[in-house]
Order: sequence, then C-alpha cells, then structure tokens
Amino acid sequence: MDQRPLELILARNFLTGLSTPAFLVDEGGSIIFYNEAAGDLLAISFEEFGQKPAEEWSGAIGPFGADGKPIPIEELPTTQALRAGRPAHGNFRIRSLKGDEHDIESTALPIVAEGGQEGGMIFFWPTAGRGA
Amino acid sequence: MKVKVWGARGSVPAPGPEMNRYGGNTSCVELELCGGSTLILDAGTGIRGLGVGFAAKLPTINILLTHLHLDHIQGLMFFAPCFRSESSITIWGPSSPEASLAARIGRYISAPLSPVEVRELPCDVSFLDTPATEWELGGARIRAESVTHRGPTLGYRITDSDGTTLTYISDHEPGLGAPLEEIGQEWISGYDLARSADLLIHDCQYTDEEYPDHVGWGHSRLSDTLTFARRTDARRVMLFHHDPLHTDDFLDTFLDTANGRWRALGGEPGQLTMASERLELEVSAPAPAPAPAGA
Ligand SMILES: [Zn+2]
Ligand SMILES: [Zn+2]
Repeated sequence: MDQRPLELILARNFLTGLSTPAFLVDEGGSIIFYNEAAGDLLAISFEEFGQKPAEEWSGAIGPFGADGKPIPIEELPTTQALRAGRPAHGNFRIRSLKGDEHDIESTALPIVAEGGQEGGMIFFWPTAGRGA
Repeated sequence: MKVKVWGARGSVPAPGPEMNRYGGNTSCVELELCGGSTLILDAGTGIRGLGVGFAAKLPTINILLTHLHLDHIQGLMFFAPCFRSESSITIWGPSSPEASLAARIGRYISAPLSPVEVRELPCDVSFLDTPATEWELGGARIRAESVTHRGPTLGYRITDSDGTTLTYISDHEPGLGAPLEEIGQEWISGYDLARSADLLIHDCQYTDEEYPDHVGWGHSRLSDTLTFARRTDARRVMLFHHDPLHTDDFLDTFLDTANGRWRALGGEPGQLTMASERLELEVSAPAPAPAPAGA
C-alpha cells in the first residue's frame, strides 16, 4: 500500500495519544483508523474492525437516528460536511458490539493541506449511555 | 553517483579539537551524478568549504534545501559561487502558504542578520518551490516529499540516470507517536522516499538514552533510524545530523552500538556508515540479475 499523506500520518499519531474517541477518514470518507478510546466505545479494536468492510459493521454499530433506524454513514451530516470540506457537528446514537447504546455528539474537522483535502478527523463525545 | 559529505552536524556548528574527525560543520552533501552534473543537498556551514573548491567548476548550481532551519541554510552567505557574476544558482526548498521561499530565506540574508541582501549578490540566483511531482535535474529524477520534523520539511529521493537511488532525510522523527516496528508501512513518514534506496542518508541525532528528553524535537533516536532503514529496505545507511554534544570518541562508540543493533535487526555488516566531513562514497545500484539462459 502506498504511503499516506504526511498530514494523515501526523493526525493518526495525534489521535493515538488521545483519550477522546476519534476516527480518521480518508478523502473519500472511508474510516482508515480509529483510536483505542473509540475501540472501547464500539467494543471492537481497529485491528479487528479493519478486517471487514464497513457495511458489515454499520448495521450492528450504527449510527442510528432518533427513530432507532440506522443512518448510512454517507448520509450523516458530518460525513457530508467533510466531503464538502466543511467542519460539522451532529448527534446520533451508536451501539457497541456488546450491545450497549451511547448517545453521541460528534464533531468533524476536514484535514486540508497544500494539495487540497486529504481526509478528516471525527471526534465522538458520548453524552449518555445505556447498558444492553 | 559520488557522494561527498561537507557537513554532518545537526542543530548548530560544533567545532573543536574533540570534533575534528567527524567535523563540526552543519548539513551539506555534494552529489556528483553519473552524467557529470552536481547537486548540493542543504546549505549548512559545510557548504562554505565546498564553495572554495567549486570555483572552476560548472557555473550552474542546484541546491536542494530540506527546510530553512539555520543549520541547513547558514552557509549560503559564505558560498563562494554566490559572489561570482558568472554563477547561476537555483535554490529549491519547501513551499509555505505564509511567504515565498525567496522571502523566507531573505529574512536571514538581510539586515541586521547579514551584511548583504539577496538582491546585492552578483550571481544569478533563483528560488523555486519544489514541485509536487517528480522532476529532472542534471539527468537525475528528483522527488521531494514532506516528512515529520518541526515545520515544513522535505526529504529527497534522487534517482540517477543509471538507476542509482539516494534518499536524503536529514531531519526526521518518523517514530513520533508511531511504533515503527509494527505499524503498517503506509503510516511511516518518509517510507516512499526511502524504499529500497541504494544509500539512505538519515537523521540519527540521539541515542536511545538521550531521546526521552527530546521527544517531539523532530529528530530520530538510533533504534528508530535503524528500524526505519530496515523497514524501507535500505541497501546502505549513513547516520547523519550528529548532535553537537557528540564528540569523535562518542560517535566511534555510537557506531559500534549501531552496528550491533543493526545485525540484531537482520542487517548485514558494512551497510552502516557514520557521516563524517569530507567522507566520499561511490554509490551504485545493484547489477541487474542475469537473464535466465535460453530464455
Ligand atoms: Zn537540522
Ligand atoms: Zn531542522
């Protein structure tokens, strides 16, 4: 695999050191990394997650809207904003693989470098959680 | 390709009798390409000595700067060809949204830091941002890419017309926040630049014991330099950018330690060199495997 742009490498290094659940997406919006705090929240480490296509997990993990129906990741306002090169803030619910649910406030920031947008960072702030 | 080191020190010149063998001048490396043209990597204080002998040489000079920290540009003002009207000098360096390369270097070559201004230099000098894609100089293909340091910093991959590849990453901390032994290669800063280079000239400023006090300063500890070189499959490695505190005796011992660790990582003896001033190396690509008989 080719080397990622340096800005994404630095972002990954930064997110690795945070206790805030955080995801790194590439310019197409695909998840290319998440940190241990995010792994705790989802009850699955990135290494395990990375071995299957995202669609296989999203049905189980979410995100889910207020009505409890899954929202395709592509339709999340945060994803759309990132793709348009804008920051965004939104709310949804996720379910960990253990079954507990979390209300999440999420902030997404595009990573723009000299060559244009290279991806984005998405931070999750759990505001409430319920055990399974 | 012929490589000659004119300055191997990092951060600040460190002259003194205890530094005589490895030298106290800061980063500067001369490359003589197989077609006869010359490229200069960085313009630390080592470039002054290079310029003295450069008088009768080609009037067209290309200098590739990794970044604008003083230890990589300080010698520019003392580079003899700058003061000759027949010289034509092109200085390549990292772009910045903040100001042009000429303006940023001009902050150093201007009052009160300098007695001369760039516009007063008698030579024909131009400042160019390195292109985002590979380009050609003197028959060699050059690729510049950003690497982990402090501030916009480039590494260079230079592929000569005979296929010999040299990678120069003078200031680099690829292990910052990234465990180099296990992380995927796509997450290693400088990986594409260094992949399978015939010679990798790489930052090795700190011992593993010194590094904890310098995390995030933009430089490598020995074990990260060696792991980076193994992960990228370098054929030879030159340890570069010596800390100003490291004396000749210290660097001798440091090289012994490095050789021991290199073998433990599966490297072959003789692949490591400690950069020292005026050191000359001939670098070549491995001979192509002979074609199978009867094919
Ligand atoms: Zn330096
Ligand atoms: Zn530097």
